[in-house]
Parts: sequence; C-alpha cells; structure tokens
Amino acid sequence: MSNRILRYSLYTFIALTAFGAGLWMSGSRQAGAPEVTASEALLALALPDLQGKPQRLDQWRGKVLVVNFWATWCAPCREEIPIFVKMQEKYGAKGLQFVGISIDQVDKTQEFARNFSINYPNLIGTIDTVEISRQAGNKRRVLPYTIILDRKGEIAVTEMGGLTQEKLESIVKSLL
Amino acid sequence: MRIFHNYLFLLYFLCCTITASAAQPELLEPEKAFRFSARVLDASNIEVRYQIADGYYLYRERFAFAAEPAAVKLGVAQIPQGKIKKDEFFGEVQTHRGELTIVVPVEAAADGKVSLTATSQGCADVGVCYVPMESKIQLAMSGAAAGGAAGTTAAVRDAADPLSRILSQPENSKPALSATTSNAAAEDSRIAALFQGGFWLLIASFFGFGLLLSFTPCVLPMIPILSGIIVGRGAAVTRMHGFVLSAAYVLGMAVAYAIAGVAAGLSGAMLSAALQNPWVLGSFALVFVILAMSMFGLYELQMPANLQSRLSDTSNRLPGGKYTGVFAMGVLSALIVGPCVAAPLAGALLYISQSRDGVLGGAALFAMALGMGVPLLVVGASAGTLLPKAGSWMDAVKRFFGVLLIATAIYMVSPVIPLAAQMLAWAALLIVSAVYLRVIDPLPQHAHGFQRFGKGVGVIALLAGAAFMVGAFSGAKDILRPLSGLIAGETAPAAGETLFKRVINSTELDTAIKAAAGRPVLLDFYADWCVSCKEMERFTFTDVQVKQRLAGMVKVQVDVTANNAEHQALLKRFRLFGPPGIIFFDKNGKEISGLRVIGFQNAERFSGVLDEVLKF
Repeated sequence: MSNRILRYSLYTFIALTAFGAGLWMSGSRQAGAPEVTASEALLALALPDLQGKPQRLDQWRGKVLVVNFWATWCAPCREEIPIFVKMQEKYGAKGLQFVGISIDQVDKTQEFARNFSINYPNLIGTIDTVEISRQAGNKRRVLPYTIILDRKGEIAVTEMGGLTQEKLESIVKSLL
Repeated sequence: MRIFHNYLFLLYFLCCTITASAAQPELLEPEKAFRFSARVLDASNIEVRYQIADGYYLYRERFAFAAEPAAVKLGVAQIPQGKIKKDEFFGEVQTHRGELTIVVPVEAAADGKVSLTATSQGCADVGVCYVPMESKIQLAMSGAAAGGAAGTTAAVRDAADPLSRILSQPENSKPALSATTSNAAAEDSRIAALFQGGFWLLIASFFGFGLLLSFTPCVLPMIPILSGIIVGRGAAVTRMHGFVLSAAYVLGMAVAYAIAGVAAGLSGAMLSAALQNPWVLGSFALVFVILAMSMFGLYELQMPANLQSRLSDTSNRLPGGKYTGVFAMGVLSALIVGPCVAAPLAGALLYISQSRDGVLGGAALFAMALGMGVPLLVVGASAGTLLPKAGSWMDAVKRFFGVLLIATAIYMVSPVIPLAAQMLAWAALLIVSAVYLRVIDPLPQHAHGFQRFGKGVGVIALLAGAAFMVGAFSGAKDILRPLSGLIAGETAPAAGETLFKRVINSTELDTAIKAAAGRPVLLDFYADWCVSCKEMERFTFTDVQVKQRLAGMVKVQVDVTANNAEHQALLKRFRLFGPPGIIFFDKNGKEISGLRVIGFQNAERFSGVLDEVLKF
C-alpha cells in the first residue's frame, strides 16, 4: 500500500516538475524575443527611396499614415494608385500621408511613378519587407496590402487587395 | 506477369502527379494555390508541373529556372502559350490557369543529380498578387527509376533573389521580344500541351493496359460465356447483332470495374488485400475449375431451362430488352475474372487510390475494362464464325481452354498454398493433359500430322509433370527448378529470411533507420500474397550484382500480410496502398524521393536503382 502511494507521489512530482519546466521554457522563449508590435516594426523600417536615400517611416509619425505594399508587376496594385494620388492631393494638407513600399526594381518603380505622377514617397522593398506586413495580418504575403496608422502610430485598419475611393475616404475621414 | 509490372511502372511514371484541385473559399497559401511538382522526363528534360487552383493564375513571363550544382546547364524552358490578357503597363501578358506543364531541357553533371529552383509569380482573381514563389526539388537525371514527383520544398524566401531573377528577364521589360520568343517555342509547347491532357493520357494508358490484360488467360472464361450467349440467340445471328450483344456484355463488365475504380479512388483502402485473401482466391479458383469441367464436356454450361426462360421473359419485358440480361452477365463475369487479374489490378488500383479521385478511378478502370473487352468484341462481331462450330476440332479447342482454365486456377491460388502443393497441382495438370494427348497410347500407323504434333507436346508435358512430381517429393525450394532438391549440396537461395531485418511498426522502422548510422536504408513492403514481392525475392535479390550493391545498405522489411493497424499506419505513412513497394532512405535517414520501386524489377534495372541510391 505504502509502496503504491510512494509510486503515485513520485509520478505526481515528475509531472509537476515537467509542467513547471515547460512553463519556464515557454516563458524564457517569449522573454528571449520581446514582443514587437507590428506598428512599431513598421515605423522602425528604413528603406531606400527612389533616389537611393534611406528613409525611416517614423518620420511621418503624428500623421494619418497609409502604407501601401505594391509592385508594378501586380495589376490589382496599379489600379488603386490613381485613387491614392487623388486622395493625397485632397487630404495631404489635413495630415494624410501615403507611402508606397514597392516590392520591385528601382527603375520600374521610377518609370511608373513618373507615368502616373505619384505625389507621395515610394520606398523600395524586398520580399523580406513583405514579412513586416505579415505581422500586421498579411498571412499569405500578397499584394496589394495596405496598412493605415492613426496619428498615434497605432494600426487602425489593414486592407488586403484593392481599395475603393469611398471606402478609403470613410476610413481616412474618421482618423483625421 | 512481369510484363504487367513493367507496364504498371510505366503507368505510374505517367500519372504520378495527378491530383484533384478544388476551389477554396479563403485565400490559399501560395504553395497550395500553385502546387509545384517536377519529374525527370528523360535523360535531358525535366518536366515541371504547376497545378493552379481555380480562381488563381500564373504569369507566363515570370517563370525562372535555376539549377545547382554549377555544372548543370539549363536550356530554354518550353512554356506553353497562355491566355492573352491586356495590361496597360506591360502591354499584352499571358496567363496560365488550371494545369501547366513546362519542359526544361537540362544538361546534367556526371552524377546526374540536379537541384532545380523554379520561380513563379501569380495572382488570385479576387484582386491580389502573391510575391514570387521559389520551389526547389532534387532530381536524379537517369530516368531509370525516377518514378514519383519527388518531395519538394516550396518557399518564399531569400530576399531579392527570386524577385530579381524573374524581373530581370529581358522578355519582361520588352513585350515585343517575348512575343517572338514564344512563337519560336510554339511547336514544342504544342507537344507539351499534349502531355497536359493528363486525364486523357491516363485513360488511354489504362485502355492499353486492359488490352494487354486481354492476352492473359484471365479473359478465357469470358469467351465461352459470351459465345454461349451469342450462339444461344440462334443460328441467324448477324454480325451487327453479335457485335451489339458483345458490346452490351463488355459494357456490363466495364461498369463493374468502374465501380471498383470509384471505390478505390474514394477509399484508397487496401482493396487488393481483400481481393487476395486465400478464401476469395480459393473460391474463385474453384469457379475456374468448374468452368474447366464444362470445357472437358463433363456437363453442359447452361442455366436451368425454367430459370433461363423466366430470365429471358423478364428481360424481354424490361426496356432495353434482351440486352439487359447480357449486360448483367458482363457484370457477373467481371466479378469472376476480377481475382484472376488481381495482381495487375491491385497495381492499377494503387495508382488510382493515390489520386483520391473517384471520377478518375472510375473512368480509368472503365477504360481498362473496355481494353480487356476488345477481343470479346472481335469474337462477337464475327458472329461466332471465329469460334469453331462443331466436330472433334472444336472439342480439342475446348479441352485446351479447359486446361488453361485449370492452369489459371492454380496460378491464382499459388501465392497462398505451399510450394509442394503447387508443384503437385502442376504435375497433375501436366500429366493428365499428356495422357489426353495420347502419350501412352500408340498412335495409329497413318496418324495425322496434328496427332503426331500433339503427342510430341504431350511428351514434353509428361516429362515436365514428372519433374514437378519429383520436385514436390524431394522438397524443391523453387518452382522453376523442381529438380534442385536432388542435387547434393545445393543450398536453395533463401533470400527473404536472411537478407532483411523484419520490423513490425513505425517505431521499429525509425529505430532501424537511426541505427543505420550513415548507411542508406532499403525498406521493403512484403506480403505472402504479393506475387511480385516473391518474384523480387527469387530473381532479383538473389542476383550477384544486386547483392553486391545491397551489401552497403541496411535492409529492412515489413510483412504486411496480417494487415493490422500498425501495418496500415506504415502504409499510410508512405502513402502506399499495399505491397509491393520498396523505399529508400539516404544516409541521413531521409526518404529519397523519386526512387521508389513499385512492382517487379529485374536484376539489371534494380541494380540501376541501387546505384542511384548509393549516390545519395
């Protein structure tokens, strides 16, 4: 009888130890990689602009920031660019700022920006840059992907696929 | 039998990558939206295949291929023409949907190993595009045994590399140039497009496979049944009528097979094991023997008269009339003959079950049954003229059919009965046939040439029968060497027992692979009822060349005869339907994809495969 009690208490001890070890392990792993919010990761991003000068995204902190991941090789991305241009012109003075992150080559982006008279900065990203948008919910890493930050730098809205002018306008108005 | 295994292998080679694609409500992961696979087409071409989900498309201009090691040279990829789409920025672009097959010419290095990296870029109709996808695959360019679509790793990674790879192609910036290039490649892509019709290619293969099967004795019992039906319609059967009757019969048979195919396609279960159970095989062998008795004239193969008349009454009242009965006979015949073709059929079902597609399975087996029915259609269209009508000549033919039927029965049960019993059965069949060929009686002085020829054949049969008899009593270990038991000092090759280490479940297998420590591992799935497994043991594993190559490997075998839960789990783990199946693992214990051996291979070919394995 006492033998059995001894055995069960041993099992319990082992189980508790394992449980504790598991907790500690998971805790230390989280501690090892401190949680960086997607918005902070995005704002900390520094990418070359079309002239090759690195630009940090947090220079537009305090504005309503629309970060658009796109590429010239992505047809649905190109379709919404004229809307962005129009919106930048209309609401720029009120504190709206568009930033394009082009997952593309510089020359193609430059040519496109000229042809479509893009009036907001474009930065050149790589496939790794798309990874940042993944943290913000772009699970399948697709383009276009748009992240809208409020004036405090928090993510307000994310949108996968093309945006219509009505939808974008209603979002932007509520944030401005 | 071996020819079927070879053919099956070819089939496997052709249809290994057919899987169903279906629309998904949520946005798919790129690896699922654009399913990548590749295989060795021949010594100098790799076939890359994308299965594009509904609602997704790939850009023709955005493919890029690269290979490692540096010694490997890739030619210009032959990409079929796509659908033209107007693009205001790039001009006209071509897109691909559904299934896309690209042939990439390759000049492999000496060892034949190629590591191919395919880059692709596509979009979904909902209005998003994926970042370029990189898919990698390891291939061995010998073509000898590269059966399956090897395991692939598709990944979106490596910073600007895949991006610049597909964006820096000259066609990309200049659409006009791309147009001329595609025209030049048009001829090749047309040929490649032929291969794109995977479904029809598969159906055609199965039809051919059925044609091959029709040359086996398995179809024989159907001929008297069918000729009985046709002759039973009276003397005035026209060719057209005979053809239609046999067509109804063949269709019945084909429908029965199609049902089996659908079942296999949907279930993926180990149907072959069920078909090859000793009791099933035994009872069907008995049916064959009974049919043979009828051939020997012991009784008349006919349904009881009143049953027959009632059946014909009923069928005459049915829409479709008398053909219904013939159709039903066809279904029944398929059931009778099914186990006879069980070994090759099992193989066919294996490929189908891997596709997990009921429609494909049904269509494939339907086509196979039609192929099997071609000789029957010929018999029917001849309206019985091809069949001997009457007289002693017809009796001789009938007896010959009877002997063949009994031989088929023995062959069917041979995997499940002891060797000595097999030999005795063959001995009895051969000797009795020989006696009927008047081996013992003297021939009349002015005997006909055919009689003399028959006696000669009979003497051969008698001697062979005697040899089997001696073999059965002297304990010969090999049915093809019945007298080996007599030779002093002869040790029969006991391949199976000593060559392999037996494992019984997944855990034991993993332990064995781990214990191999740097040596490649061969895993053989075996079952007592598996004919080609036994052939492999007898002919291939005993070969000196094979033995030499096997020496450096760890050889593990699973006997799945009992087909218990652990066996099923193991089969499932390797996506096998049942034995035969030989799987190789490299020095690190990872499965070498594309080098599986399914079905019989002779020593020469198997040695080739082993050479490939040893390179890894």
